[in-house]
Amino acid sequence: MTGYLVRRTGQMVLTLFLIITFTFFLVQAQPGDYASFYVLNPDLPPEVKDQIRAAFGLDKPAWQQYLIHLKNTLTGNLGVSFGNFPRPVLDVLAERVPRTLVLFLTATAVSFYIGFFLGKAIAWRRGGLFEYGATISGAMLFTAFTPAFALMMIWVFAFRLGWFPVGKFLDPLVWRGADVSANYVFGNMLLSAAAFITFALLVMLFLKRFGRRVPSVVALPILLGGALVIVVAWTLSGIGGLALDIVKHMVLPVATLTLISFAGTMLLTRNSMLETIREDYVMAARAKGLPDKQVRDRHAARNAMLPIVTSLVYSLIFAIDGSVIIESVFSWPGTGLTLLEAVRSEDLPLVMGAMLFIGTLSLLAHVIVDVLYVYLDPRIRYQ
Amino acid sequence: MTDRSDPLLTVDGLSLSYQTRQGEVQAIRNVSFELARGSALGLVGESGCGKTSVANCLMRLLPDNARLSAGRVLLDGQDVFLLTEEEMRLQRWRRISMVFQAAMNVLNPVYRVGQQIIEAIETHNVEPTDTAARERVARLFRMVGLDPQLMERYPHEFSGGMRQRAVIAMALSCDPDLMIADEPTTALDVIVQDRILRELKAIQQQLAMSIIYISHDIGAVAEVTDVVGVMYAGRLVEMGDTADVFQTPAHPYTAALMSSFPSISGERRPLTNLPGEPPNLSDPPPGCPFHPRCAYATDVCRTEYPPQVKSGSHWAACWHPLDVTLVPQS
Repeated sequence: MTGYLVRRTGQMVLTLFLIITFTFFLVQAQPGDYASFYVLNPDLPPEVKDQIRAAFGLDKPAWQQYLIHLKNTLTGNLGVSFGNFPRPVLDVLAERVPRTLVLFLTATAVSFYIGFFLGKAIAWRRGGLFEYGATISGAMLFTAFTPAFALMMIWVFAFRLGWFPVGKFLDPLVWRGADVSANYVFGNMLLSAAAFITFALLVMLFLKRFGRRVPSVVALPILLGGALVIVVAWTLSGIGGLALDIVKHMVLPVATLTLISFAGTMLLTRNSMLETIREDYVMAARAKGLPDKQVRDRHAARNAMLPIVTSLVYSLIFAIDGSVIIESVFSWPGTGLTLLEAVRSEDLPLVMGAMLFIGTLSLLAHVIVDVLYVYLDPRIRYQ
Repeated sequence: MTDRSDPLLTVDGLSLSYQTRQGEVQAIRNVSFELARGSALGLVGESGCGKTSVANCLMRLLPDNARLSAGRVLLDGQDVFLLTEEEMRLQRWRRISMVFQAAMNVLNPVYRVGQQIIEAIETHNVEPTDTAARERVARLFRMVGLDPQLMERYPHEFSGGMRQRAVIAMALSCDPDLMIADEPTTALDVIVQDRILRELKAIQQQLAMSIIYISHDIGAVAEVTDVVGVMYAGRLVEMGDTADVFQTPAHPYTAALMSSFPSISGERRPLTNLPGEPPNLSDPPPGCPFHPRCAYATDVCRTEYPPQVKSGSHWAACWHPLDVTLVPQS
């Protein structure tokens, strides 16, 4: 396993190197550069134009810029964003990346859960209106044109019904006079979520030691209690209203992403389930007199899950890619929007930084799934 | 409660068909037999003759396209087809358990072997605690000749013979009254096959459990059963004490089946091949289903289903029984 991880890390480094190289030259291949905006001004004398170019380091030949960039990246220096001067790229990303991650991890988790749940249900009870309804509406949403669908969601739920804000990360009116920054509030929200997930995992692990089907009855009140403590703590903290404002802004993009992507998991789960249902161990589980739900969840769905987990990685990466579109439509200040703006304005360091992040995330997701498989399927071992 | 001399299982006029695109396939036609407590019954016949369908009927584990057209299955006098799904679920494994045909895939690859047996024990509350359940599994493992430590292993770490033993241990886990063994040793090599059969026989006698042994291997069935039934094209064509049936087969099909299997202890003889194929069950021939392949067939065989000829508990459904001591019942 260790040897395997070392090998995988080596491959990751190589892949990242290729990503950096291709991205760098692709952006360079665009006509003009960041300085063009200033240089086009006819009032500037030529020597000032040259000075501006030199200030950005854009006067050097492309290969030289590339080597400098590579050296800086290796030493952990991602440079300064041209467009957000003088903020370093790392600083910009540190603000934007969590916003993207939270949005898309939540959406992926929700759509995976819904898709898996519906998929196993329709495979278990074939035929009937429920199956047709779920399959047809899921397929329609899955194939919908994302920007149009997102705009429609905004029009219906934000504009006509007014249930949710139209877009953006927060409402300036709510935040006027607040003595804390959005990053501070958001950071604390992330900490709370992490704390809750850790708590839930520990509870599950602890209950598992007792075996014998205690969980859901005992676990649920404990988990709800934990959630209540967090909610009370936020209410008392005085910045609960601000956190609620961020949550409100998240609902519509998460719902949109979930609606357009749950059908993929659902249809895949359905097909995978239809195969495992025919397996002898499912028949044996039924013959053993296990309750129907246990046969479905513990035997059929547990094995049907294995191919779905692979698709989970791809859908996560797909979602991050799609963040460019979704974040633009919802004006969500995350990595996707940042990348789009950076490419448009040829903010080279920021493009490179964003691509490095997206690349690292995709590669990490693959490794995580490969490792996860060892725990999901005891037949898999890596040498 | 129930009288010990009553039969444990009564199958009465059972008929089952499957709805398929090619039409209705009559998998079981008017099958009746009884099984006494603690005895071993064998069901033999070619592939597709309805043996496994009978087993699935007893467990009431039928695919959606199956239709029970007639008959009853009484377990301790209780008709299993009148039970609700939940009542039937509690009967499964507790009363009737099964060693499946394809033992290789009966164990779920993602759970430890012991856990899969404990699951059944917990469902039926056979043992009060987790520890007791584990001890029970250890005991069962020793009974079937497996090291109890193996219960912490996964199925893919087991050899074919070990898996089969584990599956037998699983079938014994809730002290069933009846165990159905559907081709339990087909996937194994002959030596392991023989050893497992002997152990199965010993366990059955030790636990005074009834067993229905389904196989196309006449030699194996002859070794472990008290009573044997021969099935052909969904019908039970001959039945009786194992020794009677195999020493003096009355039905030409039984005789043909026997002469196509080699005998180790008996005289050396060339194996005969039974010509033709079993009939298409969606359109079975009229009269005796065996007539197209039977050397003794006459006109009456082609038009009318034969009556039972009987001598004691040994009976056959044939117009021209080979064993003439069997006579029609008035």
